Amino acid sequence: MEYILECRKIFKSFGGVQALRGVDFTLRSGEVHALVGENGAGKSTLIKIISGALLPDRGDIFYMGQPVRIDSPRKAQEIGISTVYQEPLVYSELSVLENIFLGREIRTPWGNIDWKREEEQARSLFASLGLPHHFLREPMGELSVGLQQLVLIAKALVYEAKVIIFDEPTAILTEHETERLFTIIRKLRDQGVGIIYISHRLEEIFRIADRVTVMRDGEVRGEFPITAVDRAKIVELMAGKLLVEEIARRGVKGDHPLLSVQGLTRRPRFFDISFDLFPGEILGFFGLVGSGRTDVAQTIFGLFRPESGKVFFDGREVSFGSPEEAMQAGIAYLPEDRKVQGLFPIQSVAYNISVAILRELVRRLGIVDVRKERDIAEKHIRELNIKTPNLKTRVYSLSGGNQQKVVLAKWLSVTPKLLILDEPTRGIDVASKSEIHNLIAHLADQGLAIMVISSELPEILKMSDRVIVMHEGRITGVFEGPEKTAENIIRAATGERMAVTGGVGV
Amino acid sequence: MTNTGFRKVLRRREFTVLGLIVLLVVLFSLTTERFMSVSNLSNLLLQLAGTAISAIGMTMVIITGGIDVSVGSTLGMASVVAGKLLVGGYSPFLVLLSALGTGLVIGLFNGTLIAFGNVPPIIVTLGMMSILRSLMYQLLGGRWISGIPPAIRVIGLGKWLGVPISMWITVVLIAFFTYFLSSRPLGRAIYAVGNNPEAARVSGIDLRRTTLFVYAVLGALAGFAGLVYVARTGIVQTNTGSGFELEVIAAVVLGGTSILGGRGTIIGSLLGAFLVGIIKNGMVLLNVPALSEGLVVGVLIILSVMIDVIRARGERS
Amino acid sequence: MKRVLDYIVENRVLFLLVLFVALFVVFAVSVPGFFTFYNLTNMTQYGVELGLLALAEMLVILSGGGGIDLSVGSMLTIVAMIIGVLIGRVGLNPSLSILLGLFAGAGMGYLNGVLVSYTGILPFIVTLASLYIYKSLALIIAVDPRFGPNPMPVSNFPESFYFVGQYRIAGIPFQVLCIFIPVILLLWLLLEKSIFGRYLYGVGSNEKAALFSGINVCRVRVTVYTLSGILSALSGWIITSRIASARPDIGTGYELQAITIAVLGGVSIKGGEGSIGGVVLGIAIITLLYNGMQLAGIHQIWQLGSLGVVLVGSVLLNQVLLARRKI
Repeated sequence: MEYILECRKIFKSFGGVQALRGVDFTLRSGEVHALVGENGAGKSTLIKIISGALLPDRGDIFYMGQPVRIDSPRKAQEIGISTVYQEPLVYSELSVLENIFLGREIRTPWGNIDWKREEEQARSLFASLGLPHHFLREPMGELSVGLQQLVLIAKALVYEAKVIIFDEPTAILTEHETERLFTIIRKLRDQGVGIIYISHRLEEIFRIADRVTVMRDGEVRGEFPITAVDRAKIVELMAGKLLVEEIARRGVKGDHPLLSVQGLTRRPRFFDISFDLFPGEILGFFGLVGSGRTDVAQTIFGLFRPESGKVFFDGREVSFGSPEEAMQAGIAYLPEDRKVQGLFPIQSVAYNISVAILRELVRRLGIVDVRKERDIAEKHIRELNIKTPNLKTRVYSLSGGNQQKVVLAKWLSVTPKLLILDEPTRGIDVASKSEIHNLIAHLADQGLAIMVISSELPEILKMSDRVIVMHEGRITGVFEGPEKTAENIIRAATGERMAVTGGVGV
Repeated sequence: MTNTGFRKVLRRREFTVLGLIVLLVVLFSLTTERFMSVSNLSNLLLQLAGTAISAIGMTMVIITGGIDVSVGSTLGMASVVAGKLLVGGYSPFLVLLSALGTGLVIGLFNGTLIAFGNVPPIIVTLGMMSILRSLMYQLLGGRWISGIPPAIRVIGLGKWLGVPISMWITVVLIAFFTYFLSSRPLGRAIYAVGNNPEAARVSGIDLRRTTLFVYAVLGALAGFAGLVYVARTGIVQTNTGSGFELEVIAAVVLGGTSILGGRGTIIGSLLGAFLVGIIKNGMVLLNVPALSEGLVVGVLIILSVMIDVIRARGERS
Repeated sequence: MKRVLDYIVENRVLFLLVLFVALFVVFAVSVPGFFTFYNLTNMTQYGVELGLLALAEMLVILSGGGGIDLSVGSMLTIVAMIIGVLIGRVGLNPSLSILLGLFAGAGMGYLNGVLVSYTGILPFIVTLASLYIYKSLALIIAVDPRFGPNPMPVSNFPESFYFVGQYRIAGIPFQVLCIFIPVILLLWLLLEKSIFGRYLYGVGSNEKAALFSGINVCRVRVTVYTLSGILSALSGWIITSRIASARPDIGTGYELQAITIAVLGGVSIKGGEGSIGGVVLGIAIITLLYNGMQLAGIHQIWQLGSLGVVLVGSVLLNQVLLARRKI
């Protein structure tokens, strides 16, 4: 048995979108195998399949030489595959000890929980990992996220894990916590545990991994021993040969900024963010999940109050206390998580499209003009080619792609001065994607200021006049004109601070 | 004990409630002559037993994030059954079993609808409350039950070492369930389900069975409280136990069990029951109209839950 | 079978209409004295009081987030006592007293709403507590110091006060024609035609999406709890006028009936779903059931029990039907 875990030709699709196309992946005992790729490359789908959260459409998984079917996270844990998520799944009210042993208690002959032996075992586990263990009886909720992760590693060891998956474990850790985690990962590796390590921070991968697999577009683009590859090669494979489409733009950028953000800070999400946005301009925001892009947008939209910094909108200093105020001032925000933040599934298509502009449809005494409402809905159904039996159909019964379009229609029906689009084409098929891109360009040509947040590099390159890249809550690059290249952007997004910042001070 | 450890004890809800109890006891003994009298105190304990017994079950239900407003009518129903059988001359042992059984069946019914029917607990138990009231009326035919044989009334009125026997039973039950909740895997599963159902599922805990279990236990305990009630008062009426649910919920919530689930202790609920009982008792002695009882208890519930919510918010940020 | 179920899910009103007609026919055929003009109009008098509370419950449950108002019965009682005491004991002008009573209802509902939306305490806890608080306040108000420490009903009203609850216009009870029907029409406009109604459905079906769409979620919730207080107050006024007495225990148990009707009428306990048409039919069905049972000589206490069964049964039905959707 050469490999502890082997995935052969894994396929997985979600509603017509191929997330994995024949992925092979192997893991030996006692090695750290890093998995890298842009968002949407298929890493998290693969991890979900290995950890039992998803079943593959096709393909085989072998564990310790035997074919296995991992149909639940519970099953994965039972056979020895544990996952340490970025945001750990914990019982905040229960003690650390219980978080480790719950579901697998050590019992006395009477069937009671044997706290003493549990504590002894936990202590020796923690000691073997070189960790302090004075907090075993504290409630889990009082520990830092870093410590919580370590507790979950201990839990994995209680389940005698032979494979541990780390899903971006360092994204929210301090430097010190990261160092400690690395020490432990090395110890685990030396004890013969196989480790799958996912991270966007390439420098970490060179420090900790033995092997690296690069994924893009649901396929494995390369697999190397870490000594046989360098940073530039990985970046190149991640970016690939991008087919960047051109989009016709006719509009003229205004002279005075519509939105001016100065030194905006909301710890620990983002720090000292400054930029200007002009009417008629499309400003792209690129960064990995958790880099703070969405937080900046939501703060501008009034969902959160910043700690410091100023926002000027339309020539005045503003500080919106709620989305309602921001919308009245002329800002619209298409949220990232459409299903949760954008859709009213049990309401009709017409309702979903018109809900954000009802104030403009009111005749008098707060009565909504139904005819106008219907006209607007019909117009968007036509323009976005939404497939629905009729206007009264409830949205939950539409297909996923059409649901996405309904949410988009809601925000396109608003005629704001500033439109913030958070992942405008996520989960949308290719044909509709370019329709939506044209629509966005058209809106900018009409003089709207548009902020596009996206994890898809081709989209950012195609749409944006200017790109701001964020990494760990800070702006690490601003690119415009010839500087606006895939490699520059990926470098900035993986944490390499750019010397050249394309005109704007960082 | 370190300084921070000491602070933690101070910050615990049990400690706050204990402090309040001491304060009220001092206040009432200074302002009324009768409060500290032996007869008043033992009377207080007698009345508390039923609340404390039901509060054990309610604590578990609320820890899972649920609620049961039918506990008052469950007590009422069980006391009708017990009362009828006692008057009919059945053996006390059989009566005990039937009271427990009545409560258990009601609890199982509630639990099944909540766990398997996915109906919100407040709806199920609200419906159950009125169904039971109808049944009680039907069984009693608008009359009272009285003439309970004195032998059984020992459970409600008898004393041992100066403390009511019902209170001794309460203490035993509290000790047992405290042990159960802190040391048995199923007991800990109750906390896990309330704290993070998703994580509990992954840990292999059967959410539905756990839910069913807590409602069944509450039902059985409320049934037992019904027997204690009959034994103490000697009469059963159609409205027996109405409003009792508020007292029990108040005791549990005041005792620090979080309505959001995942946190709470039975000792806390016992202290909560004492607090409610002392307030009621003191109000009577101070000639505050009994009418304002609902007012005081209601306000206390809201304040106490508000503290929880604010605390939970503080932890999140 | 699947299609039949789908049809029932989407056409609750039709389903209830059929149920109503069926019940009506059964009673008309089997219960003597049912199918008379007097009985049918008399029945609507009872329907109004309960109906207003059911409409209140509908608004609150629609707002989602576990929305429920257990205090409607207590608010009804306290308003009845306020009006009674002000007119009968203080001797205040009846119109002014009624107005003050309605204001008190609005105030109590507002308080519930503020506690629910700004503190984040679950609605059932807030309104369970306020059920007892308001009930207790009603008892305290009912105490007449001249006659000792016990709460007493008030029944010395001027003749004009009975107009609302006891008079008929062309044979139809005044409160049906001049209060209930206008209230239903207003609420229909509010829910189906107005911007507030749209916002209410939005908040109820997805709170987060509502927030992102620029809807002031807290304001919507506070408004529905306040409306619930006002509707309960209206009901308290009408009931006092009809029975010619303000009693401190009058509203006990009403919350259960109101919730049952709303849920039977198709209001989803999860919020965001349900129509006024369904709830009005729910009111009609329950009123019919009460009346039929009463005429058939079945004791009133069974109303309570059967209501409990209907409540749990209809929520169960709603859940089973809704679970068939994949959201």
